[in-house]
Amino acid sequence: MALNNEEVLEVKHWNDTLFSFKTTRDPGLKFHNGHFVMIGLEVEGKPLLRAYSIASPNYEEHLEFLSIKVPDGPLTSRLQHLKKGDSIIVSKKPVGTLVIGDLTPAKNLFLFSTGTGLAPFMSVIKDPEIYERFEKIVLVHGVRFVSELAYKEHILKDLPNHEYLAEEISEKLIYYPTVTRESFENKGRLTDLITNGKLCRDIGLPQLNPMTDRAMICGSPSMLKDTCDILDGLGFTPSKHTGDPADYVIERAFVEQ
Amino acid sequence: MTFVVTENCIKCKYTDCVEVCPVDCFYEGPNFLVIDPDECIDCALCEPECPAEAIFAEDELPEGQHQFIEINAELAAKWPNISQQKAPLEDAEQWDGTDQKLQYLNKNLS
Repeated sequence: MALNNEEVLEVKHWNDTLFSFKTTRDPGLKFHNGHFVMIGLEVEGKPLLRAYSIASPNYEEHLEFLSIKVPDGPLTSRLQHLKKGDSIIVSKKPVGTLVIGDLTPAKNLFLFSTGTGLAPFMSVIKDPEIYERFEKIVLVHGVRFVSELAYKEHILKDLPNHEYLAEEISEKLIYYPTVTRESFENKGRLTDLITNGKLCRDIGLPQLNPMTDRAMICGSPSMLKDTCDILDGLGFTPSKHTGDPADYVIERAFVEQ
Repeated sequence: MTFVVTENCIKCKYTDCVEVCPVDCFYEGPNFLVIDPDECIDCALCEPECPAEAIFAEDELPEGQHQFIEINAELAAKWPNISQQKAPLEDAEQWDGTDQKLQYLNKNLS
């Protein structure tokens, strides 16, 4: 596996369990928004790597990643101590299924995420192409606690003033954060909010329908399964493999580190 | 857990799988590919890419294909790495779906 060494530029701790960081980017690293790479650290002389979605868009000079902190996680227990100036390994071959090219044309694009499954969509919502192809982009982020709503302020305050996409984002992006274990404006599991129709009612769109809607899904294996089952039940067809455009795509590489 | 290349890859070797592997864990012989079980991260990207439907998760192997767990591990240690897609073998289409291909597996270096 071909690897680069990058330098950590900035680290942000969202809470006790979640942090994100920016690194330098090799100018030769080309990727599609929504892709993931392997990142990690050298441990006992060997690279210890895990799959991480790139949370920054492909036109920015740096790379950004969102990670959980697991006290006994082989990589995240070390990664969470990263600081500015540290070195980090990044693989040279970004891949993944959460790409806009694998969705057929429609009106609305739903991005369903839980936890750090938000990361690839932070890249996708800054992709100019989605605003050309869809009328509304609905970013749904399900978490347990309010403090896990990473990038909330960034999405609500910075993105409507984005240097290239301010107008598109202001008009088309709908952000729908939802919390399961404490009180919040939107409460409940993402899957329940789809099936009971509350999500679509709250944002003023008709219930999900394969005639008008497309979706990308990124979350834990159980969230993926449940959400796929719901979409299949509504008549959506999944993309079979990369290069096969269909109604929805899922990220299967997501592993809880 | 790992993914395993099974019998129907033999004499086809389409290599679509190689292009999507984030960790480049495919190894190439004269008429077959294998996955290194120690390097595979279980991302599942390769499985749907295979035109011959020869790749399975270790715990979802079809009947009669379990010996390929051992074959993948053995040959991954011996064959050279492949990290980019190339043309399939000639006659790949004719061989795709043919039964009893294990007898044709060439374990030599390519």
